[in-house]
Amino acid sequence: MNQIGIVVMPLLVSAIVAWGMWKRVAVYEVFVDGAKEGFDIAVRIIPYLVAILFAIAMFRASGAMEFLFSFIGPVVEWFGFPRELLPMAITRPLSGSGSLGVLADMVSTYGEDALVVKMAATLFGSTETTLYVLAVYFGAVGIRRTRYALQVGLMADAAGAVAAVIFCKLLFG
Amino acid sequence: MMNYLWGGLILISMIFAVGGDVYDITRDTYENERVYVLGIDRVSGPLVNNQSLSVVLKDVSEAQGVTYKTDGERAQLRIDYSEQLPEQWKIRFGEDTDQPISVDVINNTADKLKVRLPGIIWPRLDRMMQAAFDMAEFAARLALGLIGLMALWLGLMKIAEHSGLVSALVKLIRPLLKKLFPDVPEDHPAMGAITLNLSANMLGLGNAATPMGIKAMEYLQELNEHKQSASNSMCMFLALNTSSVQLLPPVTVIALLGVSAGGLFVSIFLATLCSTIVAVLAAKWYARRWGQA
Repeated sequence: MNQIGIVVMPLLVSAIVAWGMWKRVAVYEVFVDGAKEGFDIAVRIIPYLVAILFAIAMFRASGAMEFLFSFIGPVVEWFGFPRELLPMAITRPLSGSGSLGVLADMVSTYGEDALVVKMAATLFGSTETTLYVLAVYFGAVGIRRTRYALQVGLMADAAGAVAAVIFCKLLFG
Repeated sequence: MMNYLWGGLILISMIFAVGGDVYDITRDTYENERVYVLGIDRVSGPLVNNQSLSVVLKDVSEAQGVTYKTDGERAQLRIDYSEQLPEQWKIRFGEDTDQPISVDVINNTADKLKVRLPGIIWPRLDRMMQAAFDMAEFAARLALGLIGLMALWLGLMKIAEHSGLVSALVKLIRPLLKKLFPDVPEDHPAMGAITLNLSANMLGLGNAATPMGIKAMEYLQELNEHKQSASNSMCMFLALNTSSVQLLPPVTVIALLGVSAGGLFVSIFLATLCSTIVAVLAAKWYARRWGQA
């Protein structure tokens, strides 16, 4: 946990409770009332999470990704996008733990001061695991037709990747 | 889109796994059934069970440190993993280098060990299906693991709603929210939950942000006319969450990069800004193109 989190969390919790008591809210009763939804939501998410995570696990274990990297690596490199960053850019929207593993790999391969590692860390920090967020948030309310949400999420990921390369080149290059 | 991506992931995985395995079979990558003669160094008698020795694998490489364990016909060889090992032996070790290689013993004399590599067939398919099953199990555990934190934050949120704390917070950023979520009435509780979720995200309080985001989704679902289809507001909210509005580098990145993470504050902030702007603009553009649900 970062230092800000260490201070903010307990402050937040106690401030909410203190303000509630000040406003004469029956804090204990209201808390329990709100908390009882936790179980339902978790159970509702399960099918969505299973669907997404198992498909991604298959994709990662099949070796399709390595082929993809070697195939589109030269193409993106032509546009000035480092080839080493490709595993990160592709894994990031699919899997949180997977992309963290990629980042750890890159740190041990290239060293923590390498430009490409800084790009990868920036990319990691600037976007979320799109598919996981989509499964959890839409799953919790039973949305099956995602309409354009996925496209928007992936566009944001692409923008984050491009921005990470550009800004890291400007700042650290 | 989701249907294509999901189906595509599974079908592409299948094609690549089968293709890779067929390629390996035709190329004989794993050298199935190949016989190796391993030269034993500095040993007086034949290898006996559970012996740990320094041997030279004549046919293989100069690999050192072999542990040998046998039940007569089959033997477990444990060789110290080294870069010099030939590719097909590395494949047999897999990523778990502590795994012994199982071989058939043909001949065991004082200075020679003749072994046959057993067949490996369809390893990719096997690995892929195992990964799928493991992940399905993990997904359910992951969801159930959320129950406690979810309950905690939903409870606290309810207190904040009842005490008027949330509506006070909403007032601060109402002009911005009205632009982003034109379909949500100004005083609807969804605005409060969205505000809380975005604030928690900005501060990097991940375990608080998710329950609040889900609560926001539930409120947005109340306003949604087509219950199985995402509304424009929902897509916008998801866009904000997937693009990450976090202002600080994630804790995990700081842990991995150590001191060098310091300089990343600026780059992450700028890249996040870019991805968020793109997400918002794209969501707005799609909303206009698709109309209401």
